[in-house]
Amino acid sequence: MSRWFIALGGTLAFAGSMGVMAKPIAFAGGYTVMAEYGAGTMEETQLFYAPRYDFSFGGGYLELNSDETTKTRYISYARLNYLVHRWNLDDAQGNLFVWGGLGSAAGDTFTGSVLTENAGAQADFETRRIYASFKTDLQRSSEFSHRIDTLQLGLAPYLHEYGGVATWFLVQAREYTGGIHRGAETALLVRLFKDGIWVEAGITNGGKLQAMAMFNF
Amino acid sequence: MKALPRILLLLACVAGASAQAATIEMNVNGLVCAFCAQGIEKQLRKFPATADVVVNLEQKLVAVALKDGQDIPDAELRRALTNAGYTVKAINRTETPIAELRERLKRGKP
Repeated sequence: MSRWFIALGGTLAFAGSMGVMAKPIAFAGGYTVMAEYGAGTMEETQLFYAPRYDFSFGGGYLELNSDETTKTRYISYARLNYLVHRWNLDDAQGNLFVWGGLGSAAGDTFTGSVLTENAGAQADFETRRIYASFKTDLQRSSEFSHRIDTLQLGLAPYLHEYGGVATWFLVQAREYTGGIHRGAETALLVRLFKDGIWVEAGITNGGKLQAMAMFNF
Repeated sequence: MKALPRILLLLACVAGASAQAATIEMNVNGLVCAFCAQGIEKQLRKFPATADVVVNLEQKLVAVALKDGQDIPDAELRRALTNAGYTVKAINRTETPIAELRERLKRGKP
């Protein structure tokens, strides 16, 4: 099964495909709400407001459930996102985002709550046909350190137009550190978006649901 | 007879207004994702002079229909597109009605 995923991912990568990953900054004066269900291993919700096109702030809640042990983490955080650079090209766009924040976490391997530090980055590139992105997100405290690395490669079966429904087929590869998941988790996803609504869903190589919804307004 | 200057003034105003651009067309770089481009419409509709907005990914075009006799300075248009996250390459003022432009774009013509 995983060989099939790798083969498909390789084919898409060879075809030059890159995907469309949720961006933490919408537009000046815009809000972004995001909710993700990550195959039972992670669940995350976020709300950000962008006073400028290159800066947003807000908060989120992340729950991690190890599929190796009984380890769980419940992390609430406040975060600042910054667009380091945007490449607006003739037929493509690329972005480099970084973020950082502080929060509080509880878990079943320690008592009470601990201060957490959050840091991460995202690089993405897309045309109307192909999409690629890489995101790394670290949550660290005195009791744990978990990093989630996510790579997405996507291909659009047709060229969508403004006001219409966009469809993307994606391959996602994700790795967790800190004993949350052993090895890389891969998933095949279908993404649809229209106006300010974005939904995606698919299945992982472990046969679990991977889903995400996002709203910009 | 006294009304004549007023009529002439009114006619001059009407003529001046009709000489104003009906539509502003902007060529925009980075216009590849409809989800991300929503900010363009939101930013441009904030202008009191905006009557309608058209965004077309295929032609990398953003068009603003202006209300009669009104205009939006280029600098403000560029700022609005920057706030939406995009880069304006060129701004052209035309007399093309927005409905005609929309039809043309629907047929896949620039």
